[in-house]
Amino acid sequence: MKHLPTSLLLSTLTITLSAQAHNLVPAPKQTQSVLIKNATVHTVIQGVLTNTDVLIENGKISALGPQLSTNTTESTQVVDASGKHLYPGLIALDTSLGLVEIEMVRPTVDNAEVGDVNPQISAASAYNPDSELLPTIRYNGITHAQIVPSGNGLAGQSVVVDLDAWTIEDALQPSEGQFHFYWPQIKRMPEDEKEKAKAIEKNQQAIDKLIIAFEDGYRYFLSQNAQDTDNSPNLRWQAMLPLYQGKATLFAHVDSVNQIEQVIALTKKYQFKLVIVGGYDAWRLASSLREVNASVIYPHTLSLPKRKDEPVDLPFKIPSLLANAGIPYALGFSSDWNSRNLPYAAGYSAAYGVTPEQALKSVTLDAAKLLGISDLGAIAVGYQGSVVLSDGDILDPMSSKIESIWIEGRQIDLNNRHQQLYQKYLKR
Amino acid sequence: MLINNKIIISCGIISSLVSHPIFAEANPIVPVNKLTAFTNAELIIAPGKRLSNATLLVENNRIKAIIEEDGIPAAALKVDLSGYTIYPGFIDPFTDYAIEFEYPKLGLKRPVYDIKRIGGNAENGAIHAEKEWFNYVYPNKERAKDWINNGFTSVQSSKLDGIFRGTGVSLSLADKNANEVIYRARSQPFMAFDKGTSEQDYPESLMGSIALIRQTFADANWYNQNKSKPVNSSTSPQMEFNIAFERLDNLAEKQIVFETKNLNDLLRAANLLKEHKQPANLLASGQEYARLNELKALNYPLILPLNYPQAPDVGTDDADREVSLAELRHWERAPTNPAAVANAGIPFAFTQFGIKTDAFWPRLRQAIAQGLSEDKALAALTTQAAEMAGTADFTGKLAPGYMADFVITKGNIFKDGQIYSVWLQGQEQRLRSLSQAKMLGDYQLTLNNLTLDLSLKETGKAGKTTFEGNLSSGEKTIPLTHLTLEDDGRVSFNADLSEAGIQGISRFILWLAKDGIQGRMVDAQSRSNNVAGVAVAPTATQPSTPKADKTQALVSQLTYPNVAYGLTDAPNVEKLHIKNATLWTSDKQGILENADLLMANGRIEKIGQQLTTPSGYQVLDATGKHVTAGIVDEHSHIAINGGTNEGTDAVTAEVRIGDVINPEDVSIYRALAGGVTSAQLLHGSANPIGGQSQLIKMKWGESAEQLKFANAPASIKFALGENVKQSNWGEKFVQRFPQTRMGVKALFEETFDAALAYENALKDYDDLRSSEKKKTLAPRPSYRLQAVAEVLKQQRDVHIHSYVQSEILMFLRLAEAYRFKVQTFTHVLEGYKVASELAAHGAGASTFADWWAYKFEVYDAIPQNACLMQKQGVLTSINSDDYEMQRRLNQEAAKSMMYCGMSKEDAWNMVTINPAKQLRVDEYVGSLTPGKMADIVLWNAEPLSIYAKVTHTWVEGKRYFDREEDQLAQQQVVTERAALIQKILSSDDNAKTGEKVTPLNEPQWHCDTHYQAWGQHHQGAK
Repeated sequence: MKHLPTSLLLSTLTITLSAQAHNLVPAPKQTQSVLIKNATVHTVIQGVLTNTDVLIENGKISALGPQLSTNTTESTQVVDASGKHLYPGLIALDTSLGLVEIEMVRPTVDNAEVGDVNPQISAASAYNPDSELLPTIRYNGITHAQIVPSGNGLAGQSVVVDLDAWTIEDALQPSEGQFHFYWPQIKRMPEDEKEKAKAIEKNQQAIDKLIIAFEDGYRYFLSQNAQDTDNSPNLRWQAMLPLYQGKATLFAHVDSVNQIEQVIALTKKYQFKLVIVGGYDAWRLASSLREVNASVIYPHTLSLPKRKDEPVDLPFKIPSLLANAGIPYALGFSSDWNSRNLPYAAGYSAAYGVTPEQALKSVTLDAAKLLGISDLGAIAVGYQGSVVLSDGDILDPMSSKIESIWIEGRQIDLNNRHQQLYQKYLKR
Repeated sequence: MLINNKIIISCGIISSLVSHPIFAEANPIVPVNKLTAFTNAELIIAPGKRLSNATLLVENNRIKAIIEEDGIPAAALKVDLSGYTIYPGFIDPFTDYAIEFEYPKLGLKRPVYDIKRIGGNAENGAIHAEKEWFNYVYPNKERAKDWINNGFTSVQSSKLDGIFRGTGVSLSLADKNANEVIYRARSQPFMAFDKGTSEQDYPESLMGSIALIRQTFADANWYNQNKSKPVNSSTSPQMEFNIAFERLDNLAEKQIVFETKNLNDLLRAANLLKEHKQPANLLASGQEYARLNELKALNYPLILPLNYPQAPDVGTDDADREVSLAELRHWERAPTNPAAVANAGIPFAFTQFGIKTDAFWPRLRQAIAQGLSEDKALAALTTQAAEMAGTADFTGKLAPGYMADFVITKGNIFKDGQIYSVWLQGQEQRLRSLSQAKMLGDYQLTLNNLTLDLSLKETGKAGKTTFEGNLSSGEKTIPLTHLTLEDDGRVSFNADLSEAGIQGISRFILWLAKDGIQGRMVDAQSRSNNVAGVAVAPTATQPSTPKADKTQALVSQLTYPNVAYGLTDAPNVEKLHIKNATLWTSDKQGILENADLLMANGRIEKIGQQLTTPSGYQVLDATGKHVTAGIVDEHSHIAINGGTNEGTDAVTAEVRIGDVINPEDVSIYRALAGGVTSAQLLHGSANPIGGQSQLIKMKWGESAEQLKFANAPASIKFALGENVKQSNWGEKFVQRFPQTRMGVKALFEETFDAALAYENALKDYDDLRSSEKKKTLAPRPSYRLQAVAEVLKQQRDVHIHSYVQSEILMFLRLAEAYRFKVQTFTHVLEGYKVASELAAHGAGASTFADWWAYKFEVYDAIPQNACLMQKQGVLTSINSDDYEMQRRLNQEAAKSMMYCGMSKEDAWNMVTINPAKQLRVDEYVGSLTPGKMADIVLWNAEPLSIYAKVTHTWVEGKRYFDREEDQLAQQQVVTERAALIQKILSSDDNAKTGEKVTPLNEPQWHCDTHYQAWGQHHQGAK
């Protein structure tokens, strides 16, 4: 039986003794080179390389291979990673991190606006880089997150951040525009027939309203193209221009076949770049999705089957069904505090049909790709030096023991609110 | 021979001048003796008893005799009914016919904790036991037709609103005044679980309704035993007057009519009434075929509705994906239900309740086509129904002295017969004219030199018949206009015979004659022409027979439970030798590699290395696999119907989760697939003292009662913090005490003291001599205080929902002050802050692996909580409190290895033996210790790993989950769905129509789910 390390106490204690997350100091810009030696490197794009060194300079991976020691200078931080695993930092998609601190305390909730047509609003305006949640997310190997407004209809724009920053401007990862569209849903179908009919009608009205909004946006786009001055500037439609110009992506939050098909029809009409978020039924629609080059963020791995008759393990198997259907996908974990469990969703997908390599890729490189970020999510020369060093498999809580994390070559503080309370009460 | 309708009608006219007391409770009034002999009919005098060519002799409103030979009194008016059949009038035991009453709408704003006390009513707004519905009977001629048109002559009625609905009345559907129609003024008490229009919040859940029923039975019993005691006013308090309780006296001599809405509720009602040895007739829901054995054992007569569901929408695959196999199956099986109930030997009557009345006979005929015998069907409409309505000694049969309530049909009513008239108390309600019927058919007419074929047909339905006809001459068919058929045998119509060479509109008047028809035609010039005609075909109509479904074999399976993944056969207790496995024993032996396990008789027999296989044992080679005890979940809300919270009053210790187990919940099967074999189903946390919990075993397919963990100690859910002080309930909920953690403590103290006082009062009364008891008011029973008192006597374990350290410590000290041990703190996310105090008290702690930040009281929750508590010696477990996470408790346990370096053994114990100890069932389950129940899980990898999958789960030695069989079941579900969908798509409209069924759309329950079980059905308070 494998012997397991007993505790992380030593490594965390040496880093900081500060008391709260906002006292955790973001690591400064990388000045010192980092050489990680003899690791088992999960490159994601070139397979798993054993006994391999990785050199990070100026925030980027500059070299990768066995015995890189010849390149080191005196100021290089050398990390012995013998017997340990090196992964690219994980990317958490579809989270409300930094927007929601405590879900049931309303003043701390900033993720959902009223109204159904709000393409002009952006998560960047509300993101709190000092949220107590963020250090607990990093702790499990997640270095980047997509911060997503939720709500009804066109709910606003998301941003991508790294999870160790002073301000949103520090945290922001450059990416193309990301518009989030929530297909109107009936939250809970009433049992009463009259109420049911009312709910269906109301929902259809909401859908119609949004279809018209997309058309209005398109009219605005046409009039801008035609330099038609009759149309006075409009914040909403102005914000949406990149979408019609093919410079932004529509993230459509839909699950069922008919909703996905309707979104595909909309996409075809306006030539949108499309990502399906949810996509519970997407595996059934491979060819339609391929037609519009759509990819899928699947956040339901650790969910119940949506329908009573479905196989007990269907949500676990959907990543493999997507993979087998050739649909590009990444895993998400739509939550705030709970998105730290993303690695275990990936582990589950590996238990139910995808290869461990694919499972890792679905929370790293594939996630970066569908965000349009080209230097994240893999360990290869030219990629960001955002890596996670673990004694054990980071997708399996039975063995995962994350020891160090670098974001763009900056070694970050692994302390957090939980560690601090833990340390405090160990003393009681 | 023609029947003279005018005479028949006249014998039904009764005026109200003189009255004879005939029954104790009804006084039909008959002034002039009228004697009528119905001759030559087929008499069905009772189910299975048929007389041909006998005479039914009716005197006024009663049957005087059945005359088989000669002997028709000369004074009797004879009515020849050759070719007709007479059945006893049908009786519907479940209606609200003729009850003219509405409860006043108070329009109170929620929350409503109390209602107005008026006139000695009960303190709960859903108790109307004082109502006697005969007081409100006002016959309604139009509504009566809903029944009469189908051959019903009497009904049992009550206002169908509330839990205790009052006492029903049995009455005739005759068009007479109320005094004459009442057959039995006080028939039976009516009840239901649904609180109806009551504006009071309590009960908001199904278990709350059941608790209220139990309490009310006890209250009524107490009231009626004590009400007439000559109480010494200086020592006993004055007893309140309570008319509701008073009317519930002697319930054991009555048969409660209990309405249920689904199969689970039917079984619940039966179990509840059985518990009180209460006779009853239960309104069923049409799903009884799915649990016949259980119903048969409970042995209650049923009132069956014929509510076959509308075919589910499977018009597109998008639509069919949202339909469950259970719904598809029920669409196919519903018409088989009456036959299934009959074959099981369960007595039953039919009701029209819940369906459109013109669907009644087509549905009943479908049931016959599915194998229901005609005799059983007739009994269900007559003798059984009469028993239930309390009128069996004078209705339901054709027998001397019985009411002249009967039905005349042409043909067999259970096949294609038609009802011609219905006689109510000797008064005819004609649906079809017998004379008109005689006129229908085909005739060959001679008109001058012309030969015309006349065809007369009936259309429409009983009670609303219309006629149509045509004349044809050679190939040409001419429709008739202004067609009228008179009772006296006259037919008149107009026709345009231009094509036959007679210009203009011709007008006909014809009379039925001995062998045909004859009369005149007046042409366009007003000239009269003679017409003579001969009948050319039988004059009776040939109604189209409904398509018999019996030729179609059923394609659906019947499983236990009758939903997807249900079992066709109960699994056997296995004798099994599991070889070469890694055994995670969860006891002092730790983890054993290359070890064997023997199980038999539902128990673990032996574990060890290289055991020999006893004869008769199957061998399972588990090389590379892992065997553990079944996972035990201390905190779950799966498999519950009708709400997990009775979140109305601050103390609801009387409600019982055990009353509302839902054995059909697929979550049970899903739990098995995650290796869970036992779970404690807890009341939610909407109030400080919630309800009684129920530990269940995941014995998928068994009944609700069988799922209960035998011999588990009694337990109850208490709760602290934000939920109980209504912090997140919205602005309206700020009046219930307590609203602070300080108040929570005070509430507990107050309730504990009340429970102690209650106990003392009971004891004091019990100690009295029997002569003193006769003069002393007994303490009013309280299931609420009784449950709390059991806690104080250490007879009921407390599992208390808690988060922050202040409240944990508060309750520890409070329990110590009241001298009971807190069994388990559940959630207990700040348990790490007071771990040593928890350990010192001996309380267990059942927590989440890593939940936090979803509300303020969990902002200090940490994933190292389990480690810290365990380190201080607290018995610690990980629970799910979640439908989904329950399937992954193995990995939730593993998180303590990741976050704080817990050992494998300790981590695994947190989901097996530790929760078993917290639930005090560790002598039965929780470890692989020989002698314990064979609740065992086989895993394909180390069970704590993310990559581990359950391959088999046994509960008490029975294999309830097997991954290979699950794969087959998945395919079976797909195949069966496809077959049923095709069957629906290829069915005619007749098979597709039915009642719109909205499946019970209950949410997943959580601690803080606020659900109004009855909110969907009433228009009361908002």
